[in-house]
Amino acid sequence: MQTYNNITSALFDFLLAPFGHEIALFDLIVWPVIMGVGALQVYKYTSNQKAIARVKRQISMHLLEIRLFRDDIAQVLTSTFKIIAKNTVYIGHNLTPMAVMLIPMVTLMVQLVAHYAYEPAQPGSVELLHLKLDPNASISPRDVSLEVPDGVSLDAPVVRTADGQVFWRVRADQPGDHVFRIRVGDETYEKGWAVGGDVRKIPIKRLRSWEALLYPGEAAIPRDAPVLSLELDMHTRPLRFIPDGELGILIWAMVLSMLAGFALKDFFGVTL
Amino acid sequence: MRTTLPPNLWKTTALVCATLFGGALSHAEPAGKPGVFIMGVDGMDPVILSRLVDEGKMPNFAKLAREGSYQELGTSNPPQSPVAWSNFVTGMNPGGHGIFDFLHRDTSNYHPISSATPAPGEEASALHLFGYVIPLGGSDPKNNRGGTPWWDVLAENEVDVEVFRIPGNFPTPESKAKVLDGMGTIDLRGGFGTYTFYTDTLVEKKHPKGDIEYVSVQDLDLDGIPETATSVLRGPPDQFHLEPGQIPSSSDYLTARLTVHIDADSDTAVVEVGDGRTLIERGKWSDWVEVSFDLLPMGMMPVTGSVRFYAQQLRPKLKLYASPVNISPASPFMPITSPDEFVEEIFSSVGFFYTQGMPEEQEALKDGVFDDGEYIEQVALIQEDTGRMIDFALDRFEPGDTTFVYLSDIDLQCHMLWRHGDPKHPGAPNHPAFDPATAPAHAHDIENFYRDVDATLGKIRKRLPADTLLIVMSDHGFQPYTRKFHLNAWLRDAGYLVINDGKKTGHILTGDVDWSKTRAYGVGFNGLYLNLAGRESEGIVSAAEAGALLAEISAKLEALKDPQGGKSVVLEMYRGSEIYSGPRTPEAPDLVVGYNEGYGCSDESTLGEITEEILEDNTSRWSGNHLMSPDVVPGILLVNRKLSSDGHDLTDVTATLLSYYGIRPLPGMTGDSIL
Repeated sequence: MQTYNNITSALFDFLLAPFGHEIALFDLIVWPVIMGVGALQVYKYTSNQKAIARVKRQISMHLLEIRLFRDDIAQVLTSTFKIIAKNTVYIGHNLTPMAVMLIPMVTLMVQLVAHYAYEPAQPGSVELLHLKLDPNASISPRDVSLEVPDGVSLDAPVVRTADGQVFWRVRADQPGDHVFRIRVGDETYEKGWAVGGDVRKIPIKRLRSWEALLYPGEAAIPRDAPVLSLELDMHTRPLRFIPDGELGILIWAMVLSMLAGFALKDFFGVTL
Repeated sequence: MRTTLPPNLWKTTALVCATLFGGALSHAEPAGKPGVFIMGVDGMDPVILSRLVDEGKMPNFAKLAREGSYQELGTSNPPQSPVAWSNFVTGMNPGGHGIFDFLHRDTSNYHPISSATPAPGEEASALHLFGYVIPLGGSDPKNNRGGTPWWDVLAENEVDVEVFRIPGNFPTPESKAKVLDGMGTIDLRGGFGTYTFYTDTLVEKKHPKGDIEYVSVQDLDLDGIPETATSVLRGPPDQFHLEPGQIPSSSDYLTARLTVHIDADSDTAVVEVGDGRTLIERGKWSDWVEVSFDLLPMGMMPVTGSVRFYAQQLRPKLKLYASPVNISPASPFMPITSPDEFVEEIFSSVGFFYTQGMPEEQEALKDGVFDDGEYIEQVALIQEDTGRMIDFALDRFEPGDTTFVYLSDIDLQCHMLWRHGDPKHPGAPNHPAFDPATAPAHAHDIENFYRDVDATLGKIRKRLPADTLLIVMSDHGFQPYTRKFHLNAWLRDAGYLVINDGKKTGHILTGDVDWSKTRAYGVGFNGLYLNLAGRESEGIVSAAEAGALLAEISAKLEALKDPQGGKSVVLEMYRGSEIYSGPRTPEAPDLVVGYNEGYGCSDESTLGEITEEILEDNTSRWSGNHLMSPDVVPGILLVNRKLSSDGHDLTDVTATLLSYYGIRPLPGMTGDSIL
C-alpha cells in the first residue's frame, strides 16, 4: 500500500502542477481529458469491439420491433426481454476494460484530490487534531502524548475519550509545513500540517486501513500500529469555476473524462 | 462595490479593460455623488445618548453632533422594530407596508401569527407515498412587507447598494441590491431561536423557551469517572412526515446524534454532533459546528445548520448549552440574502456568523439558564460578528455607493439589563426586577454598550471618505418596563371579552373565548381588535356599532389609572383607520394602545392569554421596553451635515436617500428629505 502510494506520488508530483498549484484549472482539465482518451484506448484494445457493435445493433433492432409492432403485446414483451438480455451481454463486454481502467483512473483522481482539494490553514486558525486508537490494541488514551512543533501552540487541554479517541485543539501561530510528533506507548507517529504560504499539495490524513490509498499525501500508518487514524480538520480549497472538495473533484474528473471519451470515440475509431 | 473574483481573474480583467478603455476603468459615481453610509442602531435613546455625550463618554457621537446635526427622530406607531424599520425601508406608514406589530391575527380563528409572513391561506393537499407525506401545491414563504424597499429604487437607478442585517426582510424578496436579512430570520426549527440545554441536573423552570434535555453521564471505560453523555440535537421539522399545516410536536423534528466526551483530567470536552465536532472548555463558547439533517434518506435532501456550544459546567454536573441551530451561512438551505450568492461573498470574508434574526440568547437569560455575565459574554460574540461585517462593508464601500449596517448592541441589552439601574435616569427608583446581589456588577452594562457603539462610529468615520453622507439613526428609544398590563384581562373585566362557562382565565389559542359574546380582544403588543361581523370568523360587532365602541374603549383605557401610584397606564389610544393611510390599512388593528412610560402589554396578553390579574409588577429580566406610545420613545438622528429643520421621522430618512441621488419618491411614500 505504502509502496504504491510512494511510486504514484513520485510520478504525479513530477507530472502535476507544471505551472504551480495556483493554476488548478490546467491539471483539472488536461488530466481528465487525457484520462478519457486513455480510457478509449484501453477500451479499444481490451474489449471485443466486434461483439459490442453486434450487440448494439441487436438492441437497436429490438427497439425498432417495439416501435413497429406496438399493437402486438406479445411481440413487445418478447422484444423487451431481449433488450434486457442484450444489455446484460453489453455490460458483460464492458467488464474487462472497466477492470483494467479502474486502478489508473482512481489513482489519477486520488492524486488530483491530494493536490487540489484542500488549501493550507491560515496562520491564526484553530483546528482539531484527532487520533483514533485501535480498540483491540492494549493502549490507553492516557498513553498518548503530543509534541507540538515550533510555530504551533496547544489552544486547550487535551481531551481523551472512553472509546479511544484523543483530541487536541491546536493553533497555527506561524506559517510553515509543521510536523506533530505523537507518542503512543513506545512508538512515535508524525502528522504534517501545512500552514500559510502558497497553495500546494498538503497532508490530509494518515490512515491504517486500505483507505490510505485514497490519501497519498502522507504515509499510511503501519498495519501493526495501535493507531487507526490521525487527522486534522482541513479547509476545502475553493476552485470557483468547478465543484470543489473531494467529491467535487471526483465528479468533475469523471464527467469530463466521459465527455472527452464520447467526443473523441469516432476520431479514435472506438465503438462504445 | 465589487463581486469577489479570483485574484488572477481580476488582474486579467483589469488588464483587458485598461487596454480597451484606458482611463475609463475607474468606478463611476452615480451623478457625481460621494455616497451614503447609514448606521442603524436599534433602540438608541436620545436621553441616554445626550447624557453620555454630556459626560464625555461618547466622544465620536459628540464630534459628529458638533460637526453636523443631532436631533430626535420620530418613530413609528406602534414603536416596534419590525414596524419602524419597515417604515424606514419603504418610506411608508404601516397602512402602506402592512406591518403593524410583531404579531398579527388570523381572522379565521383569532390566533396570533407572525407579521413576517401573510396569514396562511388554504392548506395544500398531500400525497402519501411509502410512509412519506409529499405536499402538493402550496407556495413558497413570502415576505408580508408591502411597498418597495429604498434599496430596490436605488439599484434600479444604477446605485450600488449593500444592506447588512436589515430587520423584517425574511423571507427574502428578490432584489438587484445586495441585502443580508436581519431581525426576523428564523432558525432551523422555523422559530426565532430555540436553544437546547443538556444537563443531568433538574432545571427549575416551568415553561422554558428552549429544550431542556436531561442526560446521564456514563462511565463507559469503567475507570470510576463518568465521562460520556449522549442525546440529540433537534433540527428542522420533518416536513415529509407532517401533514400540510400541521404544527410539529417535539417529536416531529429531525435530529442529529449528540455525544459529549468529557476528559477525565481537565475541564474540557469534545462534543460530536452529526458529522461535526468541537472541543470546548468550561466557561467558554465553542466555534461554530456545521450539522446536517436529512429530510430524505441517503442524504438526498440535507438541511445544514450551524450551532455553537457553551460549556457552563462539565463536572461534577453537566450543563451544556447549545445555541439555536442557525441557517448555516456556508450552505444556507433557504435564501438569507439577495441575491442568493451574496451570502457566499460575506462568508468567504467574514466566516461563520449568527444568521438568526435576534441572535442574543435572551430566552436563556429570561429562563434563568444564563446569568447576566454569561449573557453579556455571548453578546460579545455577536459584536465580533458585527465588527467583522462592518469591516467587510467598509472594505467594499466606494464613492457613489450606499451602504446600510445594523447594530443590535443597544436594543436587546436595554430590554434585558435595564433592571440593574435606569440608564435614562440613574436616580430613578429601583426596578421591580432589581437584584441587589447582581446589580452593582452590571449597573453600567448598558452604558458600556453605548460606548461600544461609539467606538464603532469612530471606526466608520475614520475609514469613510470625508464627503460621504453619514447618517446614524435609531428606530426608537427606550423606557423602563416596570408594570405589566394584561389587556385581555382588562377587556374581560370591562365586559368586552367573555370566556366560556363563566370562567375567569383562559386563552384564545385553546378556544376558551366565547366569541358569540366577545366584542373586543387583544393580540400583539399594541393591537386591539373588534370582533367585527364580516371580518372575524365569528364577529358580532356590526359596522354601525364599531365607531361608538372604539370611542368607548379608548376613553376607558385613557382614563385608566394604576392603583399603585395613580399613573395613567395608557397615554393615548389611536384608531388604525385614522393614523394609517394606504392599501393595507384595512388589516390594521382597530385600536393601537399607546402605553405610558413604564407600562406595556404583558407577553401573556400579547399571545392571547386572559389572566387573573390586570396589572402587576414586571419582575422579569425583560425589564426595558419601547412598545409604548411613540411620544415617549423617539429615536435619534445624527448626520454629518447641518440640518435646517427638525421634527423628522423614519420615512424622512428614506426620502433623503432617494432625493440624494435625484430620484423622485414612489407613490405612497410619505417622507420629506432632511437635507
